[in-house]
Amino acid sequence: MSDKPVNKGPHDLGGEAAGLIDTTDHGMLFWEKQANALRSVLSRAGIVKVDELRRAAEGLEQYGKLAYFEVTTSALRVLLLEKGLVTEAELEAKMAEIRRRFDVPDEMESPIKQKAKR
Amino acid sequence: MTGAGADISAMRSSYAQAPGHRFNVGDRVAVKSVFPPGHRRTPWYIRGKHGVIERICGAFPNPEELAYGFDGEPAKVLYRVRFTQKHVWPGYQGPGHDVIEMEIFEHWLEPDDRADGDAKP
Amino acid sequence: MTKSFDYYAKRPHDHDHDEHTPQSETEGPPSEFEIMSRAMQELLEAKGVVTADQVRRRIELFEEDFPYRGGRVVAHAWTDPAFKKRLLEDGRAACSEMGIELEAERLIAVENTPEVHNLIVCTLCSCYPRALLGMPPTWYKSRNYRSRVVFEPRAVLREFGTLLPDNVTVRVHDSNADMRYVVIPMRPKSTEGWSEERLAGILTRDTLVGVTVPEVPGKE
Repeated sequence: MSDKPVNKGPHDLGGEAAGLIDTTDHGMLFWEKQANALRSVLSRAGIVKVDELRRAAEGLEQYGKLAYFEVTTSALRVLLLEKGLVTEAELEAKMAEIRRRFDVPDEMESPIKQKAKR
Repeated sequence: MTGAGADISAMRSSYAQAPGHRFNVGDRVAVKSVFPPGHRRTPWYIRGKHGVIERICGAFPNPEELAYGFDGEPAKVLYRVRFTQKHVWPGYQGPGHDVIEMEIFEHWLEPDDRADGDAKP
Repeated sequence: MTKSFDYYAKRPHDHDHDEHTPQSETEGPPSEFEIMSRAMQELLEAKGVVTADQVRRRIELFEEDFPYRGGRVVAHAWTDPAFKKRLLEDGRAACSEMGIELEAERLIAVENTPEVHNLIVCTLCSCYPRALLGMPPTWYKSRNYRSRVVFEPRAVLREFGTLLPDNVTVRVHDSNADMRYVVIPMRPKSTEGWSEERLAGILTRDTLVGVTVPEVPGKE
């Protein structure tokens, strides 16, 4: 009998060895609340189904390495591309635009940016 | 079993009885020991395990189809099945009356045909 | 586009002047995933698939409405045995009686007794009765909880400070398909005569998932 579990997805966690639980609730950052709300609007409108989002999450190679909302965001991206609701090019362009929005003029270097560079 | 076990025979469905359901509350069932790829809502750890029907939940579109953009029709009957923890996990640390329950679709279940001596979960 | 010193980046065409929320509550710049999420939302808004208003309203519901419903429902069940019976038979219909419309959820309420303690998990993802309880706590979604609570629930309960004697059955529910779950904890005797509002105050999310039992302030 093979030792490797056959077709066990990275999400199928029941029974896996794991460490102590951080029993504190760390809440949600604003962008996470917004991401959750976006998902909720899309699924209530029937544009993406919860089952599709789960399937897309389970297929992520990086599933085990990503935090919860990183998984859900990546899964949504997979689906929006799959359904042709956005294109890779559009997404790349929009992300670049948003990155620029968080920039500040060079002579007024943001402490946030400075810290990030360290 | 304790109070948790006494509930079974009195338990009715929470929602409308699914027409044409194969199993009834109290039936002994086995979860199929199959490991297909794709989106499944039957956890890996419960495959091949034996339990008892705790409740008939109703009929729902098949998530295994919904996941790929199909409508999941015809709806499949969904049951809640109760399992003894000591049966599910060899080496379970806890009393024999601890249980775990979950929802299993009808197409993942078979009758538990084992003889009585082996069958009591 | 005007460059500004405002490090709390605002959307260029944002008409909502109340959106003073910082772009990130952490110390660093937004992560790739935050940027990705914002990008998807803006693209979908531009294409008319969703509106900013829809998203905002959902945020509000999740923040201001959903988290308070579960405590109210269970507090009502504590004070009204006939309602509790109806809640146990058909969770969604019982909530409806109280003007609480669950959304997609089919709700199963499970009752703690001196013999049985219930505990909820979704090992496969993080299914949770969101329209009844709001968003799940971070630990509920964590790998460690999802993995371990099914095979060592008593050890997990101890990590939350909950100790159960061996004569109590631990009943774990893996919320893996269309049902969602809420635990009806045992009502502490010292809450006799309390109003429903006061009772709802001790029915925290942790008690409604089953990792803790309700605590009466000032009592042991």
